[in-house]
Amino acid sequence: MSSTHTPSPSRLACTVNGRAVALEVAPHALLLDVLRDRLELKGAKRSCDVQVCGACTVLVDGAPVSACTYLALEADGRDVLTVEGLGAPEALHPLQQAFIAHGALQCGFCTPGMLLTAKALLDEDPAPTPERVAHWLRGSLCRCTGYRKIVDAILAAAS
Amino acid sequence: MSGLRPFALHRPRSVEEASRLLAEHGGDAMVYAGGTELLVLLKAGLARPGCLVDVKAVPSLASIEAGAGALRIGATARHRDVERSPAVRAACPLVADVARHVANVRVRSVGTVGGNLAFADPHSDLATVFLTLDGTVRLEAAGAARDVPLTDFVRGPYETSRRDDELLTEVRLALWPAGTAAAYLKFGVHERPTLGVAVALSPNGAPDRVGAARIAVGCVGPRPTRLPAVEAAARGLDAAELARRAGELGALAAEAVDPVADLHGAADYKRDMTRVFVQRALALAAARLAGRSPIVLHPHTVAV
Amino acid sequence: MQITREVLLPVSADVLWSFLWDVPRVVACLPGCVDAAEVEPQRRYRARMQQRVGPISIDVPLDVEILEADPPRRLVLKASGRDRLVGAEIAMRVTLACAPATAGSMLRIDADGRVLGKLGALGHGVIQRKAEEAVAEFAARAARAVAPA
Repeated sequence: MSSTHTPSPSRLACTVNGRAVALEVAPHALLLDVLRDRLELKGAKRSCDVQVCGACTVLVDGAPVSACTYLALEADGRDVLTVEGLGAPEALHPLQQAFIAHGALQCGFCTPGMLLTAKALLDEDPAPTPERVAHWLRGSLCRCTGYRKIVDAILAAAS
Repeated sequence: MSGLRPFALHRPRSVEEASRLLAEHGGDAMVYAGGTELLVLLKAGLARPGCLVDVKAVPSLASIEAGAGALRIGATARHRDVERSPAVRAACPLVADVARHVANVRVRSVGTVGGNLAFADPHSDLATVFLTLDGTVRLEAAGAARDVPLTDFVRGPYETSRRDDELLTEVRLALWPAGTAAAYLKFGVHERPTLGVAVALSPNGAPDRVGAARIAVGCVGPRPTRLPAVEAAARGLDAAELARRAGELGALAAEAVDPVADLHGAADYKRDMTRVFVQRALALAAARLAGRSPIVLHPHTVAV
Repeated sequence: MQITREVLLPVSADVLWSFLWDVPRVVACLPGCVDAAEVEPQRRYRARMQQRVGPISIDVPLDVEILEADPPRRLVLKASGRDRLVGAEIAMRVTLACAPATAGSMLRIDADGRVLGKLGALGHGVIQRKAEEAVAEFAARAARAVAPA
């Protein structure tokens, strides 16, 4: 049987921030667009659109990915975490508390990506060295803070 | 630039099926694994395939195995997998450490070794390092397989000798002999490295005397290259002599490369940086050959 | 991009000059150039440029205009076009000069141009190299085409 007669996959069934999601998506749909436009999760941002800035970072099965350059169908069967799933306004995640306490955000545009990348790091290494934090943040760009406060906040949240 | 043009997505379960799909669709199909290079190309409109052949469902392609003096990395192994693989760490720690520094953590989570080699962007860390391990890629199609040395596989920027119906299935690396001291320096401020130098010094007789040198420079020219003239000059030197003459060998390297001007810099600049970084990489490898582990701090440089 | 190349051909400058005006023969020497047609004799021509760099293919319809003709010495033309799909815009100015030389004549090619759009962003270096290769190939094919049988 020729594979060309097999229709392209189009069903996305995954969990997003702990909730089950089932959507029909085209193969060429990008995860960022599905999150922002169909699930109304605006935390992940379209910024450089070529996966170099980190503003669109979400976690898929705990690993950071650039949602702008990731097919939505790749998340099928997986757990997606966006910043909206990190904590609630009434119950902020320790990372979010640390970012606020340390002044690690100003305009906030890079913040969702920074938070999720930090979460992925701390889940893997609860006590990272400053060098390791800097290594993980490479490729997550911030125009406001100069990075120092972001690193401090992450180290504080770790301890 | 947001959004992709529509395409069909096929998920073959075997190399044969993948190859058949590629042959069937010809230039209208492109191989898709991590997509970290491909999707950027598609977003820019520079390629418009009608279908993508997703090879991640082919089970044999993700394996990483070491044995019989060789390390075999499957095409869909991700940079992250190579970074964390116990087999790679035991067989050749430098490869694991170079993988750890490819691009950024998101690209490492998703991008594959096979995709990196097959896309043949000149600014590639892995292609440079793999040249010092006499890397060979396996290309498979319609039941036939051929092994092509990396030097022959990468023909120029974005050009390889892979036929449209072939699938790159694995890269095979010949492990260095015991006692080899190696280093990889990469330099740059952009997302991709501006220059990468890999050095492997294998002893002969005395543990700190160079029996064989393997030196590769990448990112500077249309494709990564070994530097036979510099390798020959390093042969027979002991670590102290090599450290003293590193500058001279750096100058030799600068003459041997074929720099291309681009957004990373003018040709003259790249040629001069080649001189500087080959010198630094040789100095670091020589120190390691002598049993030392110096900490290397140069601006915008990752020393592996 | 900017390319200059000289090739010594074993024919007189007059023969070389008449070769240059034989547009179908000249176009056949240009790698990737197909479907050449005359629009207005000695003034305007049409052709298509097809090139591939790895996964990227371009197919650019070219409009060629003769800017200067100084027989039998110098020919200046302008070629421009746009690949609709890829968005690559090409604008080239090419000067072909014939000078007598011992044992034939010297053809000097000066090509000056731009590739704009996404393809131009791919890297000046890649395009420069491709163009150099194309000009070198043109020179080689022209030498074969014009040489006496």
